Amino acid sequence: MARLKTNSSGYPLYPPKSKGIKGQQKLLSTAATFAFLALLPWLPIFGWITIFDTGTNYGLGNLAYVFAYAAAGIGFNFLIGYSGTLGLAHAGLFAIGAYGTAILSAPPECVEQTCETIVRPAVSGYGWPFLLTIPIVCLFAAIIGVLVGFPAARLKGFYLAIATLALGELIVKLISMDEKLWSGLKTNGGTGKQVQIFEFFGSGQLKSAYFLSLAALFICFLGHVIYTENRLGRTLKSVRDIEIATGPLGISSTYYKLIAFGLSGIAAALAGVAWSQNSAFVNPSSFKTRLLVFLLVVLILGGLGKLWGPLIGAIIFVYIRQEFQDSQKLLFFLIGTALMVAILILPKGVASLPDRFTDSRWVQDLKRRFKAMKV
Amino acid sequence: MNTETSTFPLSLEDLHVSFGGNRVLEGVDINFVPGFNGLIGPNGAGKTTIFNVLSGYVKASRGAALLEGKDLSELKPTDRVSNGISRTFQSPKLILDATVLENVLLGMHHRFKHGHVTELFRLPNHRNEEDQARETCMDMLEEFGLAEEAHKETGDLSLGSQKIVEVCRALVAGPKVLLLDEPAAGLGADDVTVLLKGLNKFVVERNLCLVLIEHDLELVTSVCPIIYVLHFGRIISEGSPEVITSDPIVIEAYLGSGYAPANGDDQGGADVL
Repeated sequence: MARLKTNSSGYPLYPPKSKGIKGQQKLLSTAATFAFLALLPWLPIFGWITIFDTGTNYGLGNLAYVFAYAAAGIGFNFLIGYSGTLGLAHAGLFAIGAYGTAILSAPPECVEQTCETIVRPAVSGYGWPFLLTIPIVCLFAAIIGVLVGFPAARLKGFYLAIATLALGELIVKLISMDEKLWSGLKTNGGTGKQVQIFEFFGSGQLKSAYFLSLAALFICFLGHVIYTENRLGRTLKSVRDIEIATGPLGISSTYYKLIAFGLSGIAAALAGVAWSQNSAFVNPSSFKTRLLVFLLVVLILGGLGKLWGPLIGAIIFVYIRQEFQDSQKLLFFLIGTALMVAILILPKGVASLPDRFTDSRWVQDLKRRFKAMKV
Repeated sequence: MNTETSTFPLSLEDLHVSFGGNRVLEGVDINFVPGFNGLIGPNGAGKTTIFNVLSGYVKASRGAALLEGKDLSELKPTDRVSNGISRTFQSPKLILDATVLENVLLGMHHRFKHGHVTELFRLPNHRNEEDQARETCMDMLEEFGLAEEAHKETGDLSLGSQKIVEVCRALVAGPKVLLLDEPAAGLGADDVTVLLKGLNKFVVERNLCLVLIEHDLELVTSVCPIIYVLHFGRIISEGSPEVITSDPIVIEAYLGSGYAPANGDDQGGADVL
């Protein structure tokens, strides 16, 4: 930022940034990372890591999963890391995103002979334009998120976790009930539903899913950065750290917790949309507590409260998952081990490694010596 | 309600508070005047409870607290600050991993008019309001000699400075009544001087009514023209510092024999409190 605002005595109003490239480090690194990820389908440079080789459909799909999990992780991080509220309904909100667009954008049912194409009830929907369904689904997830958040006004810690966990499961349960609940709910019960894949300008289904996931991640990332660095971030931090003092400050902690629930619901729904476009098939069992555990793993491996944490965590998680997908037992063993190692050695996640490195004794020592040499 | 009380910025009328069978306040009548008001008394006398009633943590079981003649119990705790009541806490309640300026900015949040959608898109009125708020807060920090520290993490500051930051946060909220709960505890002599100088300026400029709970008797007697002594939920003495320090009841209850067990008139509260 070129403007340097000060008060009348010349004290800067915003934390002073270092001059030149260093001051813009954060902006530049973000832009570079997203530009790199956007160009990745045309630069299959990770050929040596089969799992993320963008030259293949397999690698492209895996990266799209990474982005979807990271986007959900960012929303989760916003809720847990900033408002300090342990809401665990995310698997349900994720399912709303995934199922919502799948149902709303699927073509309407048509089994008559006169139909151009036969659409069986199992794959039918409402035939809305796909891009329109995304904001609708996000809004709906935000509303559900806020409703789930209401117990947060009264409950704390474990009690809140249990209550929201149950509410999240309830959402998935309602989805799998299908017509027993409401005939308009075309979720096709426990068997799962085919998802209509949206294509951007004929770029192919996989590339479309890839870019949709990347866009979801970008939106969540941007929203997270803007909100956490401004008024809402400060307010949520006050709810997290000094909830008892928020009343006399005129800050309603209940209101802000609900805002955090709503916003993280939007992130979860966006991630769900991206995920379903990539997987092309949604099934209630994909959104059970296991998904929630996956998201928690992504968050803790990456680093709770760290900006890049969810992305790094998602990369590690998807890598482990795909590499060992043949053996479920080994997979869970490895994820559990990774989690334990992360908690023991890097309690702040892999994203805290650079800080750990620069704060370590020998790097500090090296810096001191370097300075001494200069003088 | 008589018209006389409405002229006071803050008055307590026959205030009773009890937690179960434990009667903490038993009929406190105080009319606080603009300027420094001292509130002293032994531990457990109910001083902080008065503040907690005023900021809405505790409900009065009988009696009322009036802010410029308006009954405070009709206001939600979160609405009280915009009606002009602001407080600090015995142990500073600050976000330790946020900067000092951000902590002070929290005090102005109730005054922001733009919504969070405006904030997301960083529209001009968000930026203007944020800039103005930051300037006000920066001026406030400068007043209390903390401008250099404004962009440091609050956790890195000494306890004394943290307490001053909390006072700044309470002041930027634009209060008519400021409740300070032991602001000088843990502060060095220099810090106390800076704090009092700053507070005095606002008391003079804004006609602020300031209620000071403090154990440092020297400090209280030097700044407060009027002092109330609370003992077992009752006001046992009030008046100028000279009156208080020479009052035999106060000397017995608080000043002279602070640790001596109360006799006779004790309601058995000593064990409970």
